Amino acid sequence: MKQLKSNSWLWACLLAACALVLASAHAADAPAPPAQIQAQAQKPGVTPAHNAEATWREVRAGTPGVTTVRGTETGVLVSPDGNTWRQIRHGPVTFYGSLLVILVIVAIALFHSRKGMLRLSEKPTGRTLVRFSNWERSVHWLVAISFVCLALTGGNMLLGKYVLMPVIGHTLFSWLAGMGKFIHNFLGVVFSVGAVLMLATFYKDNIWHPSDAEWIRKAGGLVSREHVPSRRFNFGEKIWFWLGVGLFGLVMIASGLSLLFPNLYETRHAMQTAEVIHSIAATLIFCMSLGHIYLGTIGVEGAYQSIRTGSVDETWAKEHHQLWYDEQVQKKLGKGA
Amino acid sequence: MARMKFLCDSERCIECNGCVTACKNENEVPWGVNRRRVVTLGDGLPGEKSVSVACMHCSDAPCMAVCPVDCFYHTDEGVVLHDKDMCIGCGYCFYACPFGAPQYPQSGAFGQRGKMDKCTFCAGGPEVDHSEEEFKKYGRNRLAEGKLPLCAEMCSTKALLGGDGDVVSDIFRDRALKRGKGGEMWGWGSAYGKPEPGTKKPEVKS
Repeated sequence: MKQLKSNSWLWACLLAACALVLASAHAADAPAPPAQIQAQAQKPGVTPAHNAEATWREVRAGTPGVTTVRGTETGVLVSPDGNTWRQIRHGPVTFYGSLLVILVIVAIALFHSRKGMLRLSEKPTGRTLVRFSNWERSVHWLVAISFVCLALTGGNMLLGKYVLMPVIGHTLFSWLAGMGKFIHNFLGVVFSVGAVLMLATFYKDNIWHPSDAEWIRKAGGLVSREHVPSRRFNFGEKIWFWLGVGLFGLVMIASGLSLLFPNLYETRHAMQTAEVIHSIAATLIFCMSLGHIYLGTIGVEGAYQSIRTGSVDETWAKEHHQLWYDEQVQKKLGKGA
Repeated sequence: MARMKFLCDSERCIECNGCVTACKNENEVPWGVNRRRVVTLGDGLPGEKSVSVACMHCSDAPCMAVCPVDCFYHTDEGVVLHDKDMCIGCGYCFYACPFGAPQYPQSGAFGQRGKMDKCTFCAGGPEVDHSEEEFKKYGRNRLAEGKLPLCAEMCSTKALLGGDGDVVSDIFRDRALKRGKGGEMWGWGSAYGKPEPGTKKPEVKS
Protein backbone atom coordinates (compact mmCIF):
# COMPACT_ATOMS: atom_id res chain seq x y z
CA MET A 1 0.00 0.00 0.00
CA LYS A 2 2.79 2.33 0.99
CA GLN A 3 4.68 1.37 -2.15
CA LEU A 4 1.66 2.18 -4.28
CA LYS A 5 1.23 5.49 -2.58
CA SER A 6 4.82 6.57 -3.13
CA ASN A 7 4.49 5.33 -6.70
CA SER A 8 1.53 7.52 -7.37
CA TRP A 9 3.41 10.38 -5.76
CA LEU A 10 6.18 9.87 -8.26
CA TRP A 11 3.72 9.75 -11.15
CA ALA A 12 1.96 12.84 -10.00
CA CYS A 13 5.26 14.70 -9.74
CA LEU A 14 6.28 13.53 -13.21
CA LEU A 15 2.93 14.51 -14.68
CA ALA A 16 3.06 17.84 -12.96
CA ALA A 17 6.54 18.42 -14.36
CA CYS A 18 5.36 17.46 -17.85
CA ALA A 19 2.36 19.70 -17.52
CA LEU A 20 4.58 22.56 -16.41
CA VAL A 21 6.94 22.09 -19.37
CA LEU A 22 4.02 21.82 -21.76
CA ALA A 23 2.30 24.79 -20.22
CA SER A 24 5.38 26.99 -20.49
CA ALA A 25 6.00 25.86 -24.06
CA HIS A 26 2.46 26.59 -25.18
CA ALA A 27 1.64 29.38 -22.82
CA ALA A 28 1.42 31.86 -25.67
CA ASP A 29 -0.88 30.01 -28.09
CA ALA A 30 -2.93 27.54 -26.05
CA PRO A 31 -5.81 28.56 -23.79
CA ALA A 32 -5.21 27.68 -20.16
CA PRO A 33 -7.03 24.50 -19.08
CA PRO A 34 -9.72 24.86 -16.44
CA ALA A 35 -8.20 25.62 -13.07
CA GLN A 36 -9.88 22.72 -11.30
CA ILE A 37 -8.58 20.19 -13.78
CA GLN A 38 -5.08 21.55 -13.29
CA ALA A 39 -5.42 21.40 -9.56
CA GLN A 40 -6.63 17.82 -9.65
CA ALA A 41 -3.94 16.75 -12.09
CA GLN A 42 -1.37 17.88 -9.60
CA LYS A 43 -3.08 16.53 -6.53
CA PRO A 44 -1.24 13.41 -5.43
CA GLY A 45 -2.96 10.12 -4.91
CA VAL A 46 -6.14 11.04 -6.79
CA THR A 47 -7.21 9.59 -10.10
CA PRO A 48 -6.68 12.72 -12.09
CA ALA A 49 -9.82 14.58 -13.03
CA HIS A 50 -11.59 11.58 -14.46
CA ASN A 51 -15.33 12.08 -14.16
CA ALA A 52 -14.62 14.16 -11.13
CA GLU A 53 -17.34 16.46 -9.95
CA ALA A 54 -15.11 19.45 -10.67
CA THR A 55 -14.98 18.73 -14.39
CA TRP A 56 -18.75 18.57 -14.71
CA ARG A 57 -19.06 21.76 -12.72
CA GLU A 58 -16.77 23.41 -15.28
CA VAL A 59 -18.96 22.04 -18.05
CA ARG A 60 -22.13 23.35 -16.47
CA ALA A 61 -20.50 26.76 -16.08
CA GLY A 62 -19.89 26.81 -19.83
CA THR A 63 -16.09 26.53 -19.75
CA PRO A 64 -15.03 25.67 -23.29
CA GLY A 65 -13.13 22.52 -24.27
CA VAL A 66 -11.42 21.71 -27.52
CA THR A 67 -13.13 20.61 -30.71
CA THR A 68 -12.25 20.30 -34.38
CA VAL A 69 -15.62 21.67 -35.48
CA ARG A 70 -15.44 25.37 -36.22
CA GLY A 71 -18.12 27.87 -35.42
CA THR A 72 -19.46 30.04 -32.63
CA GLU A 73 -18.53 28.56 -29.26
CA THR A 74 -18.40 24.99 -30.58
CA GLY A 75 -16.07 24.09 -27.70
CA VAL A 76 -18.79 24.81 -25.13
CA LEU A 77 -20.61 21.63 -24.18
CA VAL A 78 -23.44 23.17 -22.18
CA SER A 79 -24.27 26.85 -22.32
CA PRO A 80 -26.25 27.78 -19.23
CA ASP A 81 -27.23 31.23 -20.56
CA GLY A 82 -29.82 30.02 -23.02
CA ASN A 83 -32.30 29.09 -20.34
CA THR A 84 -31.88 32.43 -18.57
CA TRP A 85 -32.57 34.21 -21.84
CA ARG A 86 -35.61 32.06 -22.46
CA GLN A 87 -37.01 32.80 -19.00
CA ILE A 88 -36.49 36.56 -19.41
CA ARG A 89 -37.87 36.75 -22.93
CA HIS A 90 -40.89 34.55 -22.35
CA GLY A 91 -41.45 35.81 -18.83
CA PRO A 92 -41.25 39.51 -17.92
CA VAL A 93 -40.46 40.82 -21.42
CA THR A 94 -43.50 39.21 -23.00
CA PHE A 95 -45.86 39.60 -20.05
CA TYR A 96 -45.08 43.07 -18.73
CA GLY A 97 -44.31 44.30 -22.23
CA SER A 98 -47.73 43.40 -23.57
CA LEU A 99 -49.38 44.56 -20.36
CA LEU A 100 -47.74 47.98 -20.70
CA VAL A 101 -48.80 48.33 -24.32
CA ILE A 102 -52.37 47.36 -23.46
CA LEU A 103 -52.44 49.81 -20.52
CA VAL A 104 -51.18 52.65 -22.71
CA ILE A 105 -53.78 51.92 -25.37
CA VAL A 106 -56.55 51.77 -22.77
CA ALA A 107 -55.32 54.99 -21.16
CA ILE A 108 -55.30 56.82 -24.49
CA ALA A 109 -58.74 55.48 -25.37
CA LEU A 110 -60.14 56.59 -22.00
CA PHE A 111 -58.52 60.00 -22.31
CA HIS A 112 -59.88 60.48 -25.79
CA SER A 113 -63.38 59.37 -24.90
CA ARG A 114 -63.47 61.86 -22.03
CA LYS A 115 -61.68 64.81 -23.60
CA GLY A 116 -62.14 64.28 -27.32
CA MET A 117 -60.10 66.09 -29.94
CA LEU A 118 -58.47 69.33 -28.86
CA ARG A 119 -60.04 71.80 -31.27
CA LEU A 120 -59.07 75.36 -32.13
CA SER A 121 -61.00 77.85 -30.03
CA GLU A 122 -60.89 80.56 -32.65
CA LYS A 123 -61.63 80.45 -36.35
CA PRO A 124 -58.75 79.73 -38.71
CA THR A 125 -57.43 82.89 -40.30
CA GLY A 126 -56.65 81.34 -43.66
CA ARG A 127 -53.12 82.70 -43.43
CA THR A 128 -50.53 79.98 -43.04
CA LEU A 129 -47.05 79.71 -41.58
CA VAL A 130 -44.43 77.20 -42.72
CA ARG A 131 -43.83 74.85 -39.81
CA PHE A 132 -41.84 72.05 -41.45
CA SER A 133 -39.62 72.34 -44.52
CA ASN A 134 -39.67 69.67 -47.21
CA TRP A 135 -36.46 68.22 -45.85
CA GLU A 136 -37.83 68.06 -42.32
CA ARG A 137 -40.99 66.35 -43.48
CA SER A 138 -39.03 63.87 -45.58
CA VAL A 139 -36.88 62.97 -42.60
CA HIS A 140 -39.95 62.64 -40.38
CA TRP A 141 -41.78 60.32 -42.74
CA LEU A 142 -38.68 58.28 -43.47
CA VAL A 143 -38.34 57.59 -39.76
CA ALA A 144 -42.09 57.30 -39.14
CA ILE A 145 -42.88 54.83 -41.92
CA SER A 146 -39.84 52.67 -41.26
CA PHE A 147 -40.66 52.78 -37.54
CA VAL A 148 -44.21 51.57 -38.01
CA CYS A 149 -43.06 48.72 -40.26
CA LEU A 150 -40.33 47.79 -37.78
CA ALA A 151 -42.77 47.90 -34.87
CA LEU A 152 -45.27 45.64 -36.65
CA THR A 153 -42.71 43.12 -37.88
CA GLY A 154 -40.76 43.19 -34.62
CA GLY A 155 -43.85 42.87 -32.46
CA ASN A 156 -44.85 39.94 -34.62
CA MET A 157 -41.58 38.17 -33.72
CA LEU A 158 -42.40 38.42 -30.03
CA LEU A 159 -46.18 38.15 -29.92
CA GLY A 160 -47.34 36.93 -33.32
CA LYS A 161 -47.17 33.36 -32.09
CA TYR A 162 -49.87 34.09 -29.51
CA VAL A 163 -51.94 36.65 -31.39
CA LEU A 164 -51.78 36.07 -35.13
CA MET A 165 -50.84 32.41 -35.54
CA PRO A 166 -53.98 30.99 -33.91
CA VAL A 167 -56.01 33.06 -36.38
CA ILE A 168 -54.21 32.53 -39.69
CA GLY A 169 -52.48 29.20 -39.08
CA HIS A 170 -48.89 27.98 -39.13
CA THR A 171 -48.16 28.07 -42.85
CA LEU A 172 -49.34 31.57 -43.66
CA PHE A 173 -47.97 32.90 -40.39
CA SER A 174 -44.49 31.53 -40.96
CA TRP A 175 -44.49 33.02 -44.46
CA LEU A 176 -45.54 36.39 -43.02
CA ALA A 177 -42.97 36.18 -40.25
CA GLY A 178 -40.28 35.30 -42.78
CA MET A 179 -41.18 38.33 -44.88
CA GLY A 180 -41.33 40.34 -41.67
CA LYS A 181 -37.83 39.32 -40.67
CA PHE A 182 -36.55 40.29 -44.12
CA ILE A 183 -38.30 43.67 -43.99
CA HIS A 184 -37.16 44.23 -40.42
CA ASN A 185 -33.52 43.57 -41.30
CA PHE A 186 -33.44 45.98 -44.21
CA LEU A 187 -35.70 48.71 -42.85
CA GLY A 188 -33.62 48.63 -39.67
CA VAL A 189 -30.80 50.17 -41.66
CA VAL A 190 -33.14 52.75 -43.21
CA PHE A 191 -34.45 53.66 -39.76
CA SER A 192 -30.90 53.98 -38.41
CA VAL A 193 -29.96 56.47 -41.10
CA GLY A 194 -33.27 58.30 -40.69
CA ALA A 195 -32.95 58.57 -36.92
CA VAL A 196 -29.46 60.03 -37.15
CA LEU A 197 -30.65 62.54 -39.76
CA MET A 198 -33.61 63.36 -37.53
CA LEU A 199 -31.38 64.04 -34.54
CA ALA A 200 -29.18 66.28 -36.67
CA THR A 201 -32.14 68.10 -38.21
CA PHE A 202 -34.24 68.82 -35.14
CA TYR A 203 -31.83 69.01 -32.21
CA LYS A 204 -31.55 72.81 -32.30
CA ASP A 205 -35.23 73.40 -31.68
CA ASN A 206 -35.32 70.75 -28.97
CA ILE A 207 -32.80 72.36 -26.66
CA TRP A 208 -34.06 73.33 -23.21
CA HIS A 209 -35.67 76.76 -22.99
CA PRO A 210 -36.76 78.55 -19.77
CA SER A 211 -40.36 78.47 -20.96
CA ASP A 212 -40.25 74.66 -20.63
CA ALA A 213 -40.28 75.01 -16.85
CA GLU A 214 -43.80 76.38 -16.93
CA TRP A 215 -44.87 73.65 -19.31
CA ILE A 216 -43.68 71.07 -16.79
CA ARG A 217 -45.41 72.89 -13.90
CA LYS A 218 -48.70 72.82 -15.74
CA ALA A 219 -48.14 69.32 -17.18
CA GLY A 220 -48.44 70.80 -20.63
CA GLY A 221 -52.03 71.78 -20.02
CA LEU A 222 -52.88 68.30 -21.19
CA VAL A 223 -55.68 67.86 -18.69
CA SER A 224 -56.65 71.45 -18.08
CA ARG A 225 -56.67 72.11 -21.82
CA GLU A 226 -54.99 75.43 -21.15
CA HIS A 227 -52.35 76.58 -23.61
CA VAL A 228 -48.86 76.84 -22.19
CA PRO A 229 -46.85 79.09 -24.49
CA SER A 230 -43.96 77.27 -26.08
CA ARG A 231 -41.44 77.80 -28.82
CA ARG A 232 -41.29 75.61 -31.90
CA PHE A 233 -41.49 72.42 -29.86
CA ASN A 234 -43.03 72.13 -26.43
CA PHE A 235 -41.43 70.15 -23.66
CA GLY A 236 -43.53 67.05 -24.37
CA GLU A 237 -42.20 66.99 -27.89
CA LYS A 238 -38.73 67.48 -26.53
CA ILE A 239 -39.09 64.44 -24.25
CA TRP A 240 -40.19 62.35 -27.21
CA PHE A 241 -37.27 63.69 -29.22
CA TRP A 242 -34.51 63.07 -26.70
CA LEU A 243 -35.87 60.01 -24.94
CA GLY A 244 -37.69 58.34 -27.82
CA VAL A 245 -35.51 59.09 -30.81
CA GLY A 246 -32.32 59.97 -28.96
CA LEU A 247 -31.96 57.44 -26.17
CA PHE A 248 -34.21 54.49 -27.06
CA GLY A 249 -33.70 55.01 -30.79
CA LEU A 250 -29.94 54.80 -30.49
CA VAL A 251 -30.18 51.84 -28.10
CA MET A 252 -32.42 50.09 -30.63
CA ILE A 253 -30.00 50.86 -33.43
CA ALA A 254 -26.93 49.66 -31.54
CA SER A 255 -28.53 46.43 -30.29
CA GLY A 256 -30.26 45.88 -33.63
CA LEU A 257 -27.13 46.26 -35.72
CA SER A 258 -25.28 43.82 -33.50
CA LEU A 259 -28.09 41.28 -34.05
CA LEU A 260 -28.01 41.92 -37.78
CA PHE A 261 -24.57 40.43 -38.31
CA PRO A 262 -24.64 37.12 -36.46
CA ASN A 263 -21.60 35.64 -38.14
CA LEU A 264 -19.13 38.37 -37.39
CA TYR A 265 -17.83 37.87 -33.92
CA GLU A 266 -20.54 37.38 -31.40
CA THR A 267 -21.05 34.87 -28.64
CA ARG A 268 -24.50 33.65 -27.79
CA HIS A 269 -24.39 35.64 -24.58
CA ALA A 270 -23.85 38.87 -26.51
CA MET A 271 -26.76 38.09 -28.83
CA GLN A 272 -29.07 37.14 -25.95
CA THR A 273 -28.22 40.38 -24.15
CA ALA A 274 -28.72 42.41 -27.31
CA GLU A 275 -32.06 40.73 -27.93
CA VAL A 276 -33.34 41.49 -24.42
CA ILE A 277 -32.19 45.12 -24.59
CA HIS A 278 -33.69 45.43 -28.08
CA SER A 279 -37.10 44.14 -27.03
CA ILE A 280 -37.30 46.17 -23.81
CA ALA A 281 -36.29 49.38 -25.59
CA ALA A 282 -38.72 48.50 -28.39
CA THR A 283 -41.60 48.15 -25.94
CA LEU A 284 -40.86 51.52 -24.33
CA ILE A 285 -40.34 53.38 -27.62
CA PHE A 286 -43.53 51.81 -28.99
CA CYS A 287 -45.56 52.97 -25.98
CA MET A 288 -44.18 56.49 -26.37
CA SER A 289 -44.89 56.42 -30.09
CA LEU A 290 -48.55 55.61 -29.37
CA GLY A 291 -48.80 58.84 -27.43
CA HIS A 292 -47.04 60.75 -30.19
CA ILE A 293 -49.22 59.27 -32.91
CA TYR A 294 -52.37 59.95 -30.90
CA LEU A 295 -51.51 63.63 -30.35
CA GLY A 296 -50.36 63.94 -33.94
CA THR A 297 -53.58 62.62 -35.42
CA ILE A 298 -56.92 62.49 -33.60
CA GLY A 299 -55.69 64.09 -30.37
CA VAL A 300 -55.07 67.59 -31.65
CA GLU A 301 -56.86 69.28 -34.52
CA GLY A 302 -54.48 70.46 -37.21
CA ALA A 303 -51.46 68.59 -35.90
CA TYR A 304 -51.52 65.98 -38.65
CA GLN A 305 -51.91 68.65 -41.34
CA SER A 306 -48.78 70.39 -40.09
CA ILE A 307 -46.55 67.40 -40.73
CA ARG A 308 -48.48 66.33 -43.81
CA THR A 309 -48.42 69.64 -45.68
CA GLY A 310 -45.71 71.44 -43.74
CA SER A 311 -47.78 74.55 -43.03
CA VAL A 312 -50.16 75.51 -40.24
CA ASP A 313 -52.81 78.15 -39.84
CA GLU A 314 -51.83 81.19 -37.81
CA THR A 315 -54.57 80.46 -35.32
CA TRP A 316 -53.16 76.98 -34.77
CA ALA A 317 -49.69 78.43 -34.26
CA LYS A 318 -50.99 80.99 -31.79
CA GLU A 319 -52.96 78.42 -29.82
CA HIS A 320 -50.31 75.74 -29.68
CA HIS A 321 -46.93 77.41 -29.98
CA GLN A 322 -47.43 81.02 -28.98
CA LEU A 323 -43.76 81.88 -28.60
CA TRP A 324 -42.91 80.30 -31.93
CA TYR A 325 -45.77 82.25 -33.54
CA ASP A 326 -44.45 85.50 -32.09
CA GLU A 327 -40.99 84.71 -33.45
CA GLN A 328 -42.38 84.00 -36.90
CA VAL A 329 -44.38 87.20 -36.91
CA GLN A 330 -41.33 89.18 -35.83
CA LYS A 331 -39.37 87.58 -38.65
CA LYS A 332 -42.02 88.42 -41.20
CA LEU A 333 -42.27 92.01 -39.97
CA GLY A 334 -38.49 92.31 -40.04
CA LYS A 335 -38.45 91.09 -43.60
CA GLY A 336 -41.27 93.40 -44.59
CA ALA A 337 -39.45 96.42 -43.20
CA MET B 1 -43.56 3.98 -27.47
CA ALA B 2 -39.92 4.15 -26.65
CA ARG B 3 -38.50 7.50 -25.68
CA MET B 4 -35.40 8.06 -27.83
CA LYS B 5 -32.34 9.44 -26.09
CA PHE B 6 -28.64 9.96 -26.70
CA LEU B 7 -25.98 9.22 -24.12
CA CYS B 8 -22.23 9.62 -24.50
CA ASP B 9 -20.05 7.56 -22.18
CA SER B 10 -17.14 9.87 -21.49
CA GLU B 11 -15.12 6.93 -20.10
CA ARG B 12 -15.16 5.38 -23.55
CA CYS B 13 -15.11 8.21 -26.06
CA ILE B 14 -11.71 8.36 -27.73
CA GLU B 15 -12.32 11.50 -29.78
CA CYS B 16 -12.05 9.70 -33.11
CA ASN B 17 -14.78 11.88 -34.62
CA GLY B 18 -16.23 8.85 -36.35
CA CYS B 19 -19.72 9.93 -35.28
CA VAL B 20 -19.21 13.37 -36.81
CA THR B 21 -18.10 11.86 -40.11
CA ALA B 22 -20.81 9.20 -40.12
CA CYS B 23 -23.45 11.88 -39.58
CA LYS B 24 -22.14 14.17 -42.30
CA ASN B 25 -21.96 11.32 -44.78
CA GLU B 26 -25.27 9.67 -43.99
CA ASN B 27 -27.31 12.86 -43.98
CA GLU B 28 -25.38 14.88 -46.56
CA VAL B 29 -25.72 17.94 -44.36
CA PRO B 30 -25.35 21.45 -45.82
CA TRP B 31 -21.90 22.97 -46.29
CA GLY B 32 -20.53 24.50 -43.11
CA VAL B 33 -22.95 22.63 -40.88
CA ASN B 34 -21.98 19.95 -38.39
CA ARG B 35 -24.86 18.29 -36.66
CA ARG B 36 -22.57 16.52 -34.23
CA ARG B 37 -19.25 17.47 -32.70
CA VAL B 38 -16.80 15.99 -30.23
CA VAL B 39 -15.62 18.25 -27.42
CA THR B 40 -12.55 17.35 -25.39
CA LEU B 41 -12.22 18.69 -21.87
CA GLY B 42 -8.82 19.23 -20.34
CA ASP B 43 -7.25 18.42 -23.70
CA GLY B 44 -3.70 17.10 -23.36
CA LEU B 45 -3.92 16.81 -19.60
CA PRO B 46 -4.09 13.61 -17.64
CA GLY B 47 -7.70 12.62 -17.29
CA GLU B 48 -8.86 14.48 -20.39
CA LYS B 49 -12.26 13.33 -21.47
CA SER B 50 -14.26 13.65 -24.62
CA VAL B 51 -17.97 13.91 -25.19
CA SER B 52 -19.82 13.64 -28.48
CA VAL B 53 -22.66 16.14 -28.56
CA ALA B 54 -25.55 16.95 -30.88
CA CYS B 55 -29.20 17.78 -30.37
CA MET B 56 -30.24 15.86 -27.26
CA HIS B 57 -33.95 15.92 -28.17
CA CYS B 58 -34.94 17.53 -24.90
CA SER B 59 -38.24 16.90 -23.15
CA ASP B 60 -38.91 20.58 -22.50
CA ALA B 61 -37.03 21.72 -25.56
CA PRO B 62 -35.89 25.38 -25.31
CA CYS B 63 -35.72 25.69 -29.12
CA MET B 64 -39.37 24.74 -29.33
CA ALA B 65 -40.32 27.22 -26.62
CA VAL B 66 -38.61 30.23 -28.18
CA CYS B 67 -39.34 29.57 -31.88
CA PRO B 68 -41.41 32.56 -33.06
CA VAL B 69 -43.09 30.54 -35.82
CA ASP B 70 -43.53 27.36 -33.79
CA CYS B 71 -41.84 25.11 -36.37
CA PHE B 72 -40.68 22.41 -33.90
CA TYR B 73 -42.53 19.30 -32.85
CA HIS B 74 -41.98 16.16 -30.80
CA THR B 75 -42.49 12.84 -32.54
CA ASP B 76 -44.21 9.99 -30.71
CA GLU B 77 -40.76 8.76 -29.79
CA GLY B 78 -39.71 12.06 -28.21
CA VAL B 79 -37.51 13.12 -31.10
CA VAL B 80 -37.43 16.90 -31.64
CA LEU B 81 -37.90 17.70 -35.32
CA HIS B 82 -38.55 20.94 -37.18
CA ASP B 83 -40.18 22.06 -40.38
CA LYS B 84 -37.67 23.81 -42.63
CA ASP B 85 -40.43 25.23 -44.81
CA MET B 86 -41.57 27.29 -41.84
CA CYS B 87 -38.18 28.18 -40.34
CA ILE B 88 -37.31 31.83 -40.88
CA GLY B 89 -33.70 31.62 -39.70
CA CYS B 90 -34.06 34.06 -36.81
CA GLY B 91 -31.46 32.29 -34.67
CA TYR B 92 -33.52 32.17 -31.47
CA CYS B 93 -33.23 28.38 -31.15
CA PHE B 94 -29.45 28.77 -31.29
CA TYR B 95 -29.58 31.36 -28.50
CA ALA B 96 -31.70 29.10 -26.33
CA CYS B 97 -30.19 25.66 -26.94
CA PRO B 98 -27.78 24.60 -24.17
CA PHE B 99 -25.99 22.15 -26.47
CA GLY B 100 -25.32 24.47 -29.40
CA ALA B 101 -27.22 22.11 -31.69
CA PRO B 102 -28.97 24.44 -34.17
CA GLN B 103 -26.77 25.45 -37.10
CA TYR B 104 -27.39 27.79 -40.00
CA PRO B 105 -25.98 27.69 -43.49
CA GLN B 106 -25.19 31.25 -44.53
CA SER B 107 -27.50 32.59 -47.19
CA GLY B 108 -28.20 35.89 -48.89
CA ALA B 109 -26.75 39.28 -48.18
CA PHE B 110 -24.54 40.01 -45.16
CA GLY B 111 -24.24 36.34 -44.19
CA GLN B 112 -27.86 36.09 -43.08
CA ARG B 113 -28.87 32.85 -41.48
CA GLY B 114 -30.45 30.32 -43.76
CA LYS B 115 -32.90 27.69 -42.58
CA MET B 116 -31.83 26.00 -39.39
CA ASP B 117 -30.33 22.54 -39.58
CA LYS B 118 -29.81 20.17 -36.69
CA CYS B 119 -29.60 16.52 -35.72
CA THR B 120 -32.84 14.69 -36.45
CA PHE B 121 -31.94 11.51 -34.54
CA CYS B 122 -31.82 10.14 -38.11
CA ALA B 123 -35.60 10.50 -38.19
CA GLY B 124 -36.01 12.76 -41.24
CA GLY B 125 -38.63 15.47 -41.07
CA PRO B 126 -42.28 16.26 -41.68
CA GLU B 127 -42.12 15.23 -45.36
CA VAL B 128 -43.25 11.79 -46.54
CA ASP B 129 -40.91 9.07 -45.20
CA HIS B 130 -38.04 8.24 -47.57
CA SER B 131 -39.10 10.90 -50.07
CA GLU B 132 -36.50 12.86 -51.99
CA GLU B 133 -37.58 16.15 -50.36
CA GLU B 134 -37.19 14.65 -46.93
CA PHE B 135 -33.66 13.49 -47.70
CA LYS B 136 -32.70 16.82 -49.25
CA LYS B 137 -33.92 18.87 -46.33
CA TYR B 138 -33.33 16.65 -43.32
CA GLY B 139 -31.17 13.70 -44.35
CA ARG B 140 -31.81 10.00 -43.92
CA ASN B 141 -34.83 8.66 -42.08
CA ARG B 142 -33.24 5.61 -40.49
CA LEU B 143 -35.82 5.35 -37.74
CA ALA B 144 -38.50 4.69 -40.36
CA GLU B 145 -36.27 1.91 -41.67
CA GLY B 146 -36.15 0.37 -38.21
CA LYS B 147 -32.56 1.47 -37.65
CA LEU B 148 -30.95 3.68 -35.04
CA PRO B 149 -28.90 6.88 -35.63
CA LEU B 150 -25.75 6.12 -37.59
CA CYS B 151 -23.44 8.11 -35.30
CA ALA B 152 -24.21 5.75 -32.41
CA GLU B 153 -24.31 2.66 -34.60
CA MET B 154 -20.86 3.39 -35.98
CA CYS B 155 -19.21 4.39 -32.71
CA SER B 156 -16.04 2.29 -32.52
CA THR B 157 -15.97 2.06 -28.72
CA LYS B 158 -19.72 2.08 -28.22
CA ALA B 159 -19.31 5.25 -26.22
CA LEU B 160 -22.19 6.95 -27.99
CA LEU B 161 -25.49 5.25 -27.33
CA GLY B 162 -28.68 6.25 -29.08
CA GLY B 163 -32.06 4.61 -28.80
CA ASP B 164 -34.78 3.72 -26.31
CA GLY B 165 -33.89 5.76 -23.23
CA ASP B 166 -34.65 2.89 -20.82
CA VAL B 167 -32.41 0.46 -22.68
CA VAL B 168 -29.66 3.06 -22.99
CA SER B 169 -29.72 3.83 -19.27
CA ASP B 170 -29.73 0.10 -18.41
CA ILE B 171 -26.63 -0.50 -20.55
CA PHE B 172 -24.94 2.49 -19.03
CA ARG B 173 -25.85 1.54 -15.47
CA ASP B 174 -24.37 -1.93 -16.00
CA ARG B 175 -21.16 -0.42 -17.29
CA ALA B 176 -20.85 2.04 -14.44
CA LEU B 177 -21.46 -0.69 -11.89
CA LYS B 178 -18.86 -3.00 -13.41
CA ARG B 179 -16.10 -0.44 -13.70
CA GLY B 180 -17.08 1.29 -10.48
CA LYS B 181 -16.80 4.81 -11.85
CA GLY B 182 -17.96 7.14 -14.58
CA GLY B 183 -21.65 6.99 -13.88
CA GLU B 184 -22.42 10.58 -14.86
CA MET B 185 -25.13 10.59 -17.51
CA TRP B 186 -23.76 13.56 -19.31
CA GLY B 187 -26.28 16.18 -20.37
CA TRP B 188 -29.32 14.20 -19.22
CA GLY B 189 -30.22 16.67 -16.51
CA SER B 190 -30.28 19.54 -19.01
CA ALA B 191 -32.04 17.57 -21.71
CA TYR B 192 -34.57 15.36 -19.96
CA GLY B 193 -34.93 17.00 -16.56
CA LYS B 194 -35.71 15.13 -13.38
CA PRO B 195 -38.15 12.24 -13.66
CA GLU B 196 -41.66 13.38 -12.87
CA PRO B 197 -42.96 12.26 -9.51
CA GLY B 198 -45.16 9.23 -9.86
CA THR B 199 -43.52 7.89 -13.00
CA LYS B 200 -42.15 4.39 -12.75
CA LYS B 201 -38.42 3.94 -12.80
CA PRO B 202 -37.25 1.39 -15.35
CA GLU B 203 -36.59 -1.95 -13.72
CA VAL B 204 -32.95 -2.80 -13.22
CA LYS B 205 -32.14 -6.08 -14.91
CA SER B 206 -29.96 -8.19 -12.69
